[in-house]
Amino acid sequence: MFKDKKAAESKAIDAKNLDKTFEVQYMSRWRLILRAFRRHRLGRVALVVLLIFYILAIFADFFSPQNPFTLKNQNTFSPPTKVYSEYKGEKVAPYVLPIVGVRDPVTYRKTYYDASIIENISITDDSDKSVNLILGENGLNSIIPVISTTEYAIGDKGELKLKSTNESMELIPLKDEDIFSGTGSVIHITEKSELDKYTSNPVYSYKLKKIGELQEIKLSRSISELKLVYESGEKESVKVKTVENFDFKLFTIKWFVNSWEYKLLGFIPMNMHLYGVDEPASFYIFGADRYGRDLWSRILFGSRVSLSVGFLGILISFTLAMFFGGIAGYFGGWKDELIMRVCEILMAIPGLYLLLSLRAILPEEMPSTTMYMMIIVILSFISWPGMSRVLRGMVLSLKQREYVEAARAMGYPSGRIIWKHVIPNTTTYIIVAGSLSIPGYILGEASLSFLGFGIKEPDASWGLLLSQAMDLNVLQNNPWLLLPGVFLFFAILGFNLLGDAIRDAFDPKALGH
Amino acid sequence: MLKYVLRRLMLSIPVLFGVSILSFIIIQAAPGDFLDQFRMNPAFSAERVDAMVQEFGFDKPIVVQYFNWLFQVLKGNWGLSFQYHQPVFNLIWQRLNSTLFLSLSTLLISWGIGIPLGIYAALRQYRAGDQIASVVAFIGLSIPNFFFGLLFLFMSAKTGWFPIGGMQSLNHADLGFFGQMGDYLKHVIGPAVTLGFSGMAGIMRQMRGQFLDQLSQDYVEFARAKGMPRKIVVYKHALRNAINPIVTMFGFVLSGLLGGAVITEQVFNWPGMGKLIIEALKAQDIFLVMASLLLSSLLLIIGNLIADLLLAAVDPRIRLRYR
Repeated sequence: MFKDKKAAESKAIDAKNLDKTFEVQYMSRWRLILRAFRRHRLGRVALVVLLIFYILAIFADFFSPQNPFTLKNQNTFSPPTKVYSEYKGEKVAPYVLPIVGVRDPVTYRKTYYDASIIENISITDDSDKSVNLILGENGLNSIIPVISTTEYAIGDKGELKLKSTNESMELIPLKDEDIFSGTGSVIHITEKSELDKYTSNPVYSYKLKKIGELQEIKLSRSISELKLVYESGEKESVKVKTVENFDFKLFTIKWFVNSWEYKLLGFIPMNMHLYGVDEPASFYIFGADRYGRDLWSRILFGSRVSLSVGFLGILISFTLAMFFGGIAGYFGGWKDELIMRVCEILMAIPGLYLLLSLRAILPEEMPSTTMYMMIIVILSFISWPGMSRVLRGMVLSLKQREYVEAARAMGYPSGRIIWKHVIPNTTTYIIVAGSLSIPGYILGEASLSFLGFGIKEPDASWGLLLSQAMDLNVLQNNPWLLLPGVFLFFAILGFNLLGDAIRDAFDPKALGH
Repeated sequence: MLKYVLRRLMLSIPVLFGVSILSFIIIQAAPGDFLDQFRMNPAFSAERVDAMVQEFGFDKPIVVQYFNWLFQVLKGNWGLSFQYHQPVFNLIWQRLNSTLFLSLSTLLISWGIGIPLGIYAALRQYRAGDQIASVVAFIGLSIPNFFFGLLFLFMSAKTGWFPIGGMQSLNHADLGFFGQMGDYLKHVIGPAVTLGFSGMAGIMRQMRGQFLDQLSQDYVEFARAKGMPRKIVVYKHALRNAINPIVTMFGFVLSGLLGGAVITEQVFNWPGMGKLIIEALKAQDIFLVMASLLLSSLLLIIGNLIADLLLAAVDPRIRLRYR
């Protein structure tokens, strides 16, 4: 029994080996390469991740909830929007709320509070008549409450009314909800520093003396009036005595919404987006940048630059490398000397130094597409010498082969021999070296843009987006600005893993040869 | 040996000459020149600007300008920085020290951690330690160093463990000698770790691969078969052979260091060569750009030479040829 099991096992192994020999002998080279690639699990994961990245980049407009170029300065550095799914204790569809920012007068930093507009409200007006208002009904476009604030000073010898102001507030911070309650909201200010502001104010200081020592300031805020705006442009106002009941508008997250217009793939006019919320709310899943633009949308648009430089870069630099490497290796002599010396000089300057100096040749301001092309050209220019040298060495050995001799004997022109007979034999190296060098291009572009020498505002690139985080004060308060770096990291990691998998797949040992 | 070094240095002269021509062409091709800002400035009269043109020789043909510069350099005069109104050589000398300090610290971190980690990973192939080390290496190879630098800065700003950029504390001058050294060390940790992380990852992976290759060689098996203790076989025989290819990486590492330092210095506000060249390029400070390009190339050439010499030192099979 035990013996049988062992025999069966060894039989299975034999069959496996036979399969392997069969595959190695009879499968085509490309199928073997594909087979070797499939075995590389990490490589496959990387391929899937990169494909997702590319789909996001190609359809960036569709996946962007907001136009990455429209400024919303009122939302500068807004943190990632909170998603709620509960309202007044009940479960509702996921929604977000608009925000209002309050700037701290000392640190000049904005703090954001959730706010919303009134969706429906039932009130008793000044003639004790009950009024029920619902947004959207009877062409009602907006309900703007007017909040009246009265300041009272309370001293040890009595009370004094300081001033009373009316202010219409379209967006009401959720924390001020109690304005709508029966008595309105009352805020007591007792901090010494705040009180001093009143006593030292020349407008009040005389009055305040009458009530002795100032003990507290009472702010009484209540709703006095509702301004109604109709679709027809008509306006009306209703005096409010008491608020019976009201609801905030919830900005439910909608799928496949129609908002800002774009051209899908550059030519199909569309305005559909994967998700979005109604104005005035904005849904920032990754927060906003300095100008209140949605960081996620900008990351998507930036990925177009970062993910395409690699391919275009290797296209140019390999063409250059094949051309010069081929000439140098095939002809030898002074051509070889000249090309190799030039390569040596280019390689003698540290890469980024050369990159920056070459960038300095170009004018500061250029149309964004020109700038993008120029960056690719520069990146290719600094990376061709290395590949040229390797290709030259390969050509040098390939030209000794019989088939090249034969081609020469048949009187083919040199250019044809190089392109048709010699270079095709370096394909493996070109594919492997190419896939391994893509991260270099991505990094090069990101570094240039990061240093302010590459893609410029208002265009987006991952390096440029990350440069906003260079200011440590900004970074400390808005850590989500580091997110473009995370994307950059995963793209580079993906290409590194994919490159490794491709190299292993092309390795003759893995093919079983 | 000396003959070899001299020969290599002689050979690098044409390369440096080429670098100088290339950088001169680059800087001349750039739009506008340094004097533009004076031409725009109403406080400077046209005559004054003309006088400056004469002084710096901008009115002469480019070829003449180049040879003027070259002769001055050969005499040891690297020219004057327009921007800082200081001799270029002094300026670069200060920055070179801090860049070298940063580079050496980086090398210490990347090699000091990378090699032992690689050895450790190779000896425990496919076990948990090896897997973790491989993941760390892949992260290190993929993380852009400016992103890592920002993360590091963010961490130090939140925790206060490390200074946030610069090379000295505000009270640097008041510290004693050891205090000052400690201050420098504290400041260099951030940029050095940032720069060294990717280098460490590369060296660790290379070391692991080479060591595994060596461990599977016949001579290792033979030494074990004849009864040599495992420790001696592994550390004395296999390791020495595995280290050699790592030494050749030194040249690449140096190139990466000089390039990567440009961004890291910018992020950490480290007063090094990289930051200098960015400022010089922005201000079109011709002589400064030329000198820093030339000096960085020289550093690279020297680095490669050191790598070759090191290789000859560690591998007795390699003889430096004088041809």
